[in-house]
Amino acid sequence: MTFFKNNGNKVPDHIHAAAEQVKAGGLDRREFLALASVFGASAAMAYGMIGLPTPARAQDAEPTKGGVLKVQMFIKAPKDPRLADWTEIANTMRQSLEALVYYTPEYTFEPYLLESWEVNEDATEYVMKLRPEAVWTNGDPLTAEHLMFNLTRWCDKSVEGNSMVARMGTLVDQETGKIREGAATIVDDHTVKVTLTEPDISFIPNLADYPCLVVHPTFDEDGSDFTRNKIGTGPFQLESFAVGERVVYKRREDGKWWGGEVMLDGCEFIDYGTDPSAAVNAFESGEVHANYETTPDYLDIMDGLGLERNEAVTSITIVARTNVTNKPYDDQRVRNALQLGVDNAVVMQLGVDNAGVVGENHHVAPIHPEYVELPKVPRDVEKAKALLAEAGAADFEHELISSDEDWHKNTGDAIAAQLRDAGIKIKRTVLPGSTFWNDWTKYPYSLTNWTMRPLGVQVLALAYRSGEAWNETGWSNKEFDEKLAKALSIVDPEERKTVMGDVEKILQDSGIIILPYWRKVYNHYQPVVHNYIQHPMQQVNLGKVWLEEA
Amino acid sequence: MFSFILRRLGVMVLTMFALTVVVFFLVNLEPNLKKLAITQTESRATEEQLESWLTRNGYRQNFFVRYGQWLGVMPKQPNIDPATGEAVPRFRFCDEPSEAAYSGLLQGEFGCSTKFRVSVAERLFPALGATGILMFWVMAVMVPISLLIGVLAGMREGTRTDRTLSMASITTTATPEYVSGVIFTVIFASWLGWLNGSAASATNTGITFSNFTLPVMTMAIYGIGYIARMTRASMVEVMTQQYIRTARLKGLSFSSVVIKHALRNALIAPFTVIMLQFPWLLTGVVIVETMFRYQGFGYALVEGAANNDIDLLLGCSLISVFVVLFTQLISDIGYAYLNPRIRVQ
Repeated sequence: MTFFKNNGNKVPDHIHAAAEQVKAGGLDRREFLALASVFGASAAMAYGMIGLPTPARAQDAEPTKGGVLKVQMFIKAPKDPRLADWTEIANTMRQSLEALVYYTPEYTFEPYLLESWEVNEDATEYVMKLRPEAVWTNGDPLTAEHLMFNLTRWCDKSVEGNSMVARMGTLVDQETGKIREGAATIVDDHTVKVTLTEPDISFIPNLADYPCLVVHPTFDEDGSDFTRNKIGTGPFQLESFAVGERVVYKRREDGKWWGGEVMLDGCEFIDYGTDPSAAVNAFESGEVHANYETTPDYLDIMDGLGLERNEAVTSITIVARTNVTNKPYDDQRVRNALQLGVDNAVVMQLGVDNAGVVGENHHVAPIHPEYVELPKVPRDVEKAKALLAEAGAADFEHELISSDEDWHKNTGDAIAAQLRDAGIKIKRTVLPGSTFWNDWTKYPYSLTNWTMRPLGVQVLALAYRSGEAWNETGWSNKEFDEKLAKALSIVDPEERKTVMGDVEKILQDSGIIILPYWRKVYNHYQPVVHNYIQHPMQQVNLGKVWLEEA
Repeated sequence: MFSFILRRLGVMVLTMFALTVVVFFLVNLEPNLKKLAITQTESRATEEQLESWLTRNGYRQNFFVRYGQWLGVMPKQPNIDPATGEAVPRFRFCDEPSEAAYSGLLQGEFGCSTKFRVSVAERLFPALGATGILMFWVMAVMVPISLLIGVLAGMREGTRTDRTLSMASITTTATPEYVSGVIFTVIFASWLGWLNGSAASATNTGITFSNFTLPVMTMAIYGIGYIARMTRASMVEVMTQQYIRTARLKGLSFSSVVIKHALRNALIAPFTVIMLQFPWLLTGVVIVETMFRYQGFGYALVEGAANNDIDLLLGCSLISVFVVLFTQLISDIGYAYLNPRIRVQ
């Protein structure tokens, strides 16, 4: 069997075929880059194959050493990384605990703690090779056994809230709830081979997700608590961690980061609460150099402070979903009427100040490699009314529930206003974020946000397949399940696309979600900061950042 | 006097007991326990996972057993690792022991804050210190200013000074902190740029004029009007007394009449009001500390409530009872000294 190694300048034939399609205009560039990198092409090679130069990151000046970078970000309680449910939680640990794979702002996958990986033709076998130069802060070298330890942790179903289980796919034995016997084997000191029972093209993309941080084998002995067990492989080491206040890192003392020299003396994350105006104050008074995220309504204000702006298109979104186990949402006509009553472009304008890309009521984004464009469905109030009347639900009063987070609330309000305009009775309920999640899968009609995942099939598999834990719509469609399973195993992009078109269409027609837009994300930084980027999955890695006039 | 203080302390303990039972009941309502389990596992964890977490960490034990554990009359049980069957500490971040032990309030243990991932004592006492500093500055600004306004307004009732000052006092008292705070932030932080609209840096890097003025100002302004009104009323009453007329008639100057004869008697009523400000400040800080992100007692209380941090909330209730009743005790004792006519039976 042939294996394809990343950075090995050898890729399967279908990738070469795909490159030709890009040149001929039949395939999206982004789709190709993501796919080619999963199958072993380096960024340089992937760009080269489609006749483009590798985008060089701006190197405008010689980096200078020193200085402590201060970043404004929420500081939530630290958790075992595999339980992390907020990108911020992972970011507070990411400066010391690192991921195996890095999803680049150019939408490709690069090895991070891995030196390389190899994948076979049908995506069932992965050989992962660790960086031999990676060393833990306590002096231990990073070995294949450590990787095995982490894979075992990620596959442990008995840990409540372990979200890595879903990402590990068929590596998990569904009966024992542990890693499948013999599924992962140590090849040599730095190499682990993983064998899946079904093809899974999302295995490498999943390793780039935010909860996938590699911890030291002694991690669980200290209660799986990063603030107690501070051993990491990253550029910094943890000094102090105060929830809701500040996290302080300093450059690791042994200077043995595999990524090379670290310019910053240290970095800090400072919590200024949820009010964006506090961040403005913090920038004004020089208390911070950069922020984690700028909300769209504060973009102009931040720009006005003389700060630099970064932005990234993402597949972060919010869906107004109905739960089909509740009446009248068991009737497809009612669900379609709700979709027809709403103009997604208007929702995007009111919800996030136009900072995004209009969605099409199915959960695959234009930046996803397998995206297929469907015919546009315009707002049609008359048809919506007719459908409701036909279903006998014209007088039903809907209740749209959302959390109180700004963009959730505004989006919900915009959808409700549109429906009201269309003559549909609707009531809005806003719950505090702290109670909203108690019943998020059970509300009859509510808004749920979904974070960025690099492949379109990933959220579909998590949230819309029959019986999945995160299936909040209660929807179950055999045809959809079958087609999605097929899409998950098809390697050839064009072939997968034909199935994806159907998958998207079934989801759109079912009417279970209004997906109004895909968000853009922004951050700001002082001009003295260099190499501070906006990552599409909002991951913050500060190892290569440096400060001018430090 | 001694038995009086003793009796008051007895009432305090009883109140603490009653309040903590009520709070304990509320934080153990099912939706609140679920909220706790969600924050400790993952926001999208399944029902079974939440239930398993609650059971494993002892939240499914009998209500009274758990209250007893918190109080320290029942032993706290460690968790049992399902894989090995060995006892492991419940919350490692608080260094809880791995064997059953009496570690409750009676042993001086406030428990473990699940939100801040430290022991409650480690979080609550620095927070109280921070609030103490805030309260001190609020008092230091509020008391002299309000007494001055009250005395100036009250010594000549009905004059233009009186009307102006009374008007101003009523306006500030009628404006709650969450309104004045926003107005001040807009004026002084956003428009003029003189002050920092967030006190987040006060906890981290120390208090400065820039980051601490707005919270102090917001809290003080509200209290100033109130105390000034009380002082004025009391002053007006004293100024009509016979002995003041006598003092004027024997030829004393107006200022010496006010300072030497009127002031001491006029300050009895404001004294109670000032002492009453302590419990009020404790609730006032909830709004102001959250608004300006100052990491004190009020902020800890809000965060504890939002995350159903059981031990932290119980700790906060104990502190509240103590502060309210203790300041009232002091004010009762202080009364006797200010006014010899009042004698404690």
